[in-house]
Amino acid sequence: MRPADLTPVARDVMKLPAGPGLIFASLVGAYLFNSLPWAGWALAARPDLVLVVLVFWAIHQPGSVGQGLAFALGLAMDVGDSMLLGQHALAYVIATYGAQVLRVRVLSFPILEQSLHVLGLFIGATVVVLLLNLLLGASPPGLAMALSPLVAALAWGPLTWLLYLPGLRRMRRESAA
Amino acid sequence: MIREPPPFFHRGPSPLARLTFFALLAIATMIADHRFGALEAVRLSLSVLVAPLQSLAAAPGAAMSRVAEYFSSQDRLLRENEELRAKVLEYAAAAQQSKLLAAEQESLLAMTPGRSRFATDGVLAEVTSYGRNPFSRKLVLDKGLTQGIKAGMPVIDGEGVVGQVTAVGTFTSEVTLVTEKDQSVPVMLTRNGLRAIAVGSGKDGSIDVPFMPVSADIVNGDLFVTSGIDGTYPAGLVVARVTAVEKNAAYMFAKITARPAAGVDNHRFVRILTAPRPALPAPPEARADDKRPARDRSAAKGRRAP
Repeated sequence: MRPADLTPVARDVMKLPAGPGLIFASLVGAYLFNSLPWAGWALAARPDLVLVVLVFWAIHQPGSVGQGLAFALGLAMDVGDSMLLGQHALAYVIATYGAQVLRVRVLSFPILEQSLHVLGLFIGATVVVLLLNLLLGASPPGLAMALSPLVAALAWGPLTWLLYLPGLRRMRRESAA
Repeated sequence: MIREPPPFFHRGPSPLARLTFFALLAIATMIADHRFGALEAVRLSLSVLVAPLQSLAAAPGAAMSRVAEYFSSQDRLLRENEELRAKVLEYAAAAQQSKLLAAEQESLLAMTPGRSRFATDGVLAEVTSYGRNPFSRKLVLDKGLTQGIKAGMPVIDGEGVVGQVTAVGTFTSEVTLVTEKDQSVPVMLTRNGLRAIAVGSGKDGSIDVPFMPVSADIVNGDLFVTSGIDGTYPAGLVVARVTAVEKNAAYMFAKITARPAAGVDNHRFVRILTAPRPALPAPPEARADDKRPARDRSAAKGRRAP
């Protein structure tokens, strides 16, 4: 991978690895978002922010966020949502693998194309959970579920900006000094 | 001579190998949880870990509803009070009567100890949230293991059966609603004592009563109460009212739909019935001869073989 392959912003941030504090805080925040009292069709359409943040770090910080963390977060989601233990773990692990395979390619695109790439990963994770539940005899929760990966992909841009902020600010401070 | 790569390049197993490992682990977890229910301890300890986050996330909504309730108009409270008072009067007579009947029943059953069908012990619990599983609807209550709640306990509200506790955490428990798919309750028709099994349809506010013959004496408006013969639900709790009976001679069974009596969506407090289940009598043939079924099977096979 040559640095020239990366978009300017991505290249800059990759020079400044995010601390474990930021990673941890962003994941906890995403888990809180997922744990809000969703109900009805909003629950089916809920964008899985934990998955978005997980994929974000798997792409931008492959050294510190990988499939092990994805598995653990999936178990936490299953416990929180009182679902069969392991189904979110499987979905997250598969999505994280996709992110690891695609990361260089994704980083070479601007944000909009990046969103389209991760949309594929989010759809994959949603389909895994849906199929597993259909296999268990649940009835499908309706078309609202199709919204979930779309909204999650829409959140990719703002989230990238938000998680870049601390790194960019630090970089500006250092270049000013 | 092959040079060792510098430690910087040591990255452990390849992503595909990791994927295989973790995917197999996830599938094994699912099988262990689904088939054997072996991971209750794991779930319990994880739920203790995530409980603070859960309650933090639920806090704004809970605070909002508290505030809304605080400012709810006096008018509404007065009306509610009026309604409740009327209900108390209405129920008082029935309650006294039922006390008498229960006492009578108790004295009759005194000859077979531990067979009381009436449950009176219960714990009042607050509904903290509707579970966030988009595939099945559950209630999360604020009472758990520490209050002596166990999986399998029935949950009722003022009108009837809400569901059954299916998972218990340290301070919370989950209730599977009677309307949930494959959730079944043994019931009895109050009008003629006809026994049936009510099965949740998976749709909101609807319960099916399958496998009733077309000739069964069931009409619209009939009331189903628990029959108490399963040893899980005490007898006499209101379950559902029949809303549609479709009898078609082309099918073997009538299609019976009922509406659950309990307001599944609109209660904040429910009652968990904690009374121990009455011990069921042992099946009559269990002790008689253990080898008999095996012999029967071989005999049947022998008959079929030629």
